[in-house]
This record gives sequence, C-alpha cells and structure tokens, in this order.
Amino acid sequence: MSEQKPLGSATLVRLVAGREISTRLRDKNFIISSIVIIVILIGVMAFQVVVGSGADEGRLGVVGDASELGPAIEAQGEAVGVDVTIVALDDEDAARQAVEDEDVDGALIDGTGDDPRLLVKERDSTMEAVVNGAVAGVAIASELADAGVDLTAVPEVAVTSLDEGEDDGQRVVVALIGVGVLYGLLILFGQFVAQGVVEEKSSRVVELLLATMRPWQLLAGKILGLGVLGLAQIVVIGVIGVTGALAFDVVDVPGDLISTVVSVVLWFVLGYAFYASVFAVAASLVSRQEDLGSVLTPTTLVLVAGFFVGLQAAGDPDSTLATVTSYVPGLSPLVMPVRQAAGEAAAWEVGLAVVLMLVAIALVVRLGGRVYAGALLRTSGKTKLREALRAERA
Amino acid sequence: MLEFDGLYKSYGANRVLEGVGFTVAPGSMFGFCGANGAGKTTTMRIALGLARADAGEVRWRGTALDAAARRRIGYMPEERGLYPKMRVGEQLTYFARLHGMDAAAAARAAETWAERLGLGARRKDAVEKLSLGNQQRVQLAAALVSRPEVLILDEPFSGLDPVGVDSLAEALLEQCRDGVPVVFSSHQLDLVERLCDSVGILARGRMVASGTVEELRRREAGRLLRVVVPEAPQGWAAVVPGVRVVSQQAGDTLLELAAGTDDQAVLAAALRTGRVTHFAWREPTLVELFREAVADPTPAATSAPVEEVAA
Repeated sequence: MSEQKPLGSATLVRLVAGREISTRLRDKNFIISSIVIIVILIGVMAFQVVVGSGADEGRLGVVGDASELGPAIEAQGEAVGVDVTIVALDDEDAARQAVEDEDVDGALIDGTGDDPRLLVKERDSTMEAVVNGAVAGVAIASELADAGVDLTAVPEVAVTSLDEGEDDGQRVVVALIGVGVLYGLLILFGQFVAQGVVEEKSSRVVELLLATMRPWQLLAGKILGLGVLGLAQIVVIGVIGVTGALAFDVVDVPGDLISTVVSVVLWFVLGYAFYASVFAVAASLVSRQEDLGSVLTPTTLVLVAGFFVGLQAAGDPDSTLATVTSYVPGLSPLVMPVRQAAGEAAAWEVGLAVVLMLVAIALVVRLGGRVYAGALLRTSGKTKLREALRAERA
Repeated sequence: MLEFDGLYKSYGANRVLEGVGFTVAPGSMFGFCGANGAGKTTTMRIALGLARADAGEVRWRGTALDAAARRRIGYMPEERGLYPKMRVGEQLTYFARLHGMDAAAAARAAETWAERLGLGARRKDAVEKLSLGNQQRVQLAAALVSRPEVLILDEPFSGLDPVGVDSLAEALLEQCRDGVPVVFSSHQLDLVERLCDSVGILARGRMVASGTVEELRRREAGRLLRVVVPEAPQGWAAVVPGVRVVSQQAGDTLLELAAGTDDQAVLAAALRTGRVTHFAWREPTLVELFREAVADPTPAATSAPVEEVAA
C-alpha cells in the first residue's frame, strides 16, 4: 500500500506501450517479418547493382603521347557508360607486360600514328568501341584541322528532357520503394494492433485492464507502443536502404535520396496513426480472431487502393487521379511521397495534405475512441458500430 | 466500510439493478448470492468502474470510488482473463504496476505471490501452458499482487476442485484477517455459509435479504419446528391453535407456527401423544433461505409488471 503511487495517464500509457514493445520483441513472427523485409530490401538493391552494372570501370594503357587521345577516350567511354582511366606506358613491351599482368584492360599503341593497335588479353567489344571511336575522332579532328576546317562552327546540340530528368526519376524510384515499404508496414502493424485488441477481448483480460485504466489510455498505449516499433523498423530500413544505395552506387544524388526517405518516414507516422486507430476500432467490434478479417477488409482495401494509386502516380505524377488522391486522407500517405519525389507537389500542397490527414486522425481517434470504449466489454459475438457508440456511456 | 448504496442500472428497457445496497466492514467477508442474471456481476462491475450506475454510488471509507481508489481494489472478473502468451511472472508484475506499484516493488510482489500460490516453478511459463487450476491461481495472484485494500471477486470458486477451493478459501480468510473487506459472489451456498460473516441475496435487481446467516435465519418468519413423535396419530398437531402441519411421515412432523404461537404448547400436545424423541427448531440452511428469498416474495412482483415499473 505504501509502495503505491497515484498513476497519471502518461504512466499508464507508457506501461501499456512498454508491454506491447517487449511482447513483440519476443514474438518470433515479428522478428522473422522484420528480417524478411530487410533481406528483401538488400536483395532489391543487389538486383539494381547487377542490372545497372553497365556503369563499368576500365583501365587503358596508352603508349606515347596521351595528351590529346586521353581526354578523347575518357569522353568516348563516358558516352557508353564506361569510366575509363588512362595509364601512360613507356613502350610496347611495357604495354604487353601490363596487359599480361591485367594491370590494364587494354593497351593502345601508336594511337595517333598510322598504325594504331590495341592489345587486349581477351576481346572486349566495349573497350574496342571506345578506343576506335576516340582514335577515329582524334584522327578526323586533326585531318580537318590540317584541311583548315573551323571546328568551332559545329553546332552543339542543346538537350531538353521531356521526361522528368534523371534525378527525379531516381527519386521517384526511391519514393516507390519507400511507398512499397510503407504500405507493407502499415498493413503489418495495423494487423498487429488489430490482433492485440482482439486478443485482449477474446482472452477477457480487457476487463481486468479496464478496471485500472480508461479505454483511451489502453488504446493510446497500444498504438504508441507498436508505433514506436514500426517507426524504428522503417527508420532501420531507411538507413539500410540509403547506406546500401550509396555504397553500391545505385544513386547519384544522396541529398535527394535522403530527403525522399525522410518524407516517406514522416508520411509513415501520419499513415500509421490513421490506420492503426481505424484497425483498432474495427477490431474492437469483434471478439474472435476468426472474425477479424471481415471487419478489417474495408480498411485494407483502402490501403491497397492507395498503394496502386501510388504506383500509378509514379508513372504519371501530375495526373488528375494522383493529384486528387494525394489530398485524400488515408490515400495521401501512399501518393503524396511519390508526387513530392517527382517534384510535382508544391509546399502548400504537401501542407494541405498533412493538415487534412491530421484532421482525419483527430476525428478517427475521437469517434473511434467512443466505439472502442463501447465495444470492449461486449465480449460476445460481433458488436454493431451504432450499438458501440450508444453503449459508450454504459 | 465498503458501502454499496442504492445502485440502479438499466440496459435499455432491461432493469438490471433496482436499488442494490449493502455494507461490508473491513476484515469481514461478504457472500453475494443470487440466481443467474440477478445483477451480481453488474453490481461488481459498477464498483470497478466498468459500468456506470444510473443512480447510487459505491463508497470506500466514506468517499465515492474514483479511479485512484479503484486501483486499490483487487478484482477477479467472472470471465477469467489473462494474456495467454505472457509469462506468469511478467503478467503479475504488469498488473501490480497497473495498480500503481513501482517496477521493483511489483517484481518483488509478483515473485512473492507466485511463490505463495505454488506457482514459483512456473513463473517463466506462458499462462496458456498452465493447467486450468494453475491458471485460476494466477488469476487470484493477479487480484492479490498489488496488496489491495478491498477484494471483489466474481465467482472465484467456480471451476475449482475441492483442494483448490480450500486453498482459495484460506487465502481469502487470510486477507480478511489483514483487515481487507472481501466481497465475493458464489452459487456454492454451503461455502458462503461456511466462510462469510454476512450474506446478501439478490433477486431481480433488489437485495431481498442481507445480514449474517444467523440474522437471516432468525428473521425468517416461516421457521419450521420438527417434532418426532413415533406413537402419535396422523394429524395430532392440527388441533393446536396457530399450527400448520407442513408434513407428517410416521410421526416425523414438520410444523409451521403462526406468529405468537407458544412452542411449549406444541411440546405439551406432543407429549400427550406419547414419546417425543425429537423436538427442535429446524435451522434453515442457506439454500433454503435462498430458495425462499429468491422465490417471488409477493405474487404481485411477477404477475403485475406495472408495479415493477412503478418501483
């Protein structure tokens, strides 16, 4: 008795949240699902690396003067996606030796002379093309110069990209992966919340719990506890993703990548608050895990719809569908990050979507809290939404 | 004092409680009896704040129970409930903490209670792995672990084997000796009679009787006098004024005496018939009291629903 202190809401919510976290951390399913997500993520990146392995590196030995030929070869290499490093070699013997030792991928002898030769260990069409192009280019340039042709008169082609440009494209891909992860985690953690609510109802432990706390405290603790885990998971995934992408050189612009990942994480927080509340309230209406599917399906369908709109938005970020759905609470967490990444959403648009989402969360928590409180102690069968609302003051 | 005062509760048109009130002194045990659906669980849930009374209140030490005071109540719901996948020790610690103990004290209390209820070896097992009897013990431990000032137990004895009943009874008596008022509901009236200092019988949302078992017996108007007169002729007692013969089987006679009838006159009449081998007031068992109380006391109560609404 002397050991007891009055408990504030914060303490109770923390106790509930703490139990959720420690229970999940010991749950094999949770551990396995976390590992699977991370393995898939690393797999996707490895796939990217394999597919995008066109961005090769090559070392080319050049015998003789490389001052003119070197830049030409490098430029040619860049055009076909090979990062060529020029190594100056003394003579043909040295060149032979270097190729034999695989110190260089090839050696060019007499590049600017009449008899240019390329030594390679095995034939390499890319390297041959690069060298051929460069040698021919230099030769033509020098012959034209000899003939007195003014090369500066050659017009330079100005490039206008009708697509969103490479940077945006990369960001959209990152946003897409992000939205995919977000979608998966929302479903996963929404399910956790729902299962937890039904577990308490079906095991009747809820009566013992409600003898010590208000329903909203139980709801808040449960959502917060699992939310902390979900957030930790998406942050870990984000960090692994960014680190991996940078390490494997999948992306060029780290700043853009990070800002996209951060926006996905922030949208996860909003999306989770919304869906976890809806799932918890829906779950409170049933008393058995078997009945859970039927009450969760409508909400899950909204999530799936949001995911597909998000995919569609990646291809066509300024379409009417994408624009409208990026404001709709519930869909916005899955669509807006893609539009943001595509550079299609102005700051005020993002702000509006966030505000709408916050309003929706406030409504769900308020109304849902009443349903939850009304339905929790009805441990037989399925409770109707309206009954639960009416029973709240019972 | 733990006071239940004038509790009213209805769910829609269904009037569950119509003025339930009783008092439990610290250190005494109160048995709460009543047919299924009489309103026992609702009464207890109101005390725990799980249901809201339409009128009336429950007071502990003179003040109405609020969230803080309810945290001092140990509760065992009729529908047993624990987290099936949570370990025994952690579960007890969790409930102790929900009742306001700090982490260290809660862990200590959980260990102590697991030990005392013979669950020491199972502390690290998930509750669902335990036998039903052991799960019941964990449930009791969950009610006791926070060292409650008040115990409210809904059907704590149901589903226990005789040994379990004895150990639970012992645990409750011990709480009583420590000055804790204990309220429990039960259908096992012999148990209530044995354990409880006072008893309340609830029927159709009202307390139809309450007091000590002794008081109830004394108050009972229709007490029966059993007289065994082997040689008496059939109907020997009918001649005594104010006596109604309830039954007579070969001299074993049950008599109901009208108020003011002198039992010594009956004895005299019995002696006139010959040998009297037995002459005693028959103490009604609680079961009989219960039947009497729960049976419709006035025909009006059942046949005239209008009156019920007026009440």
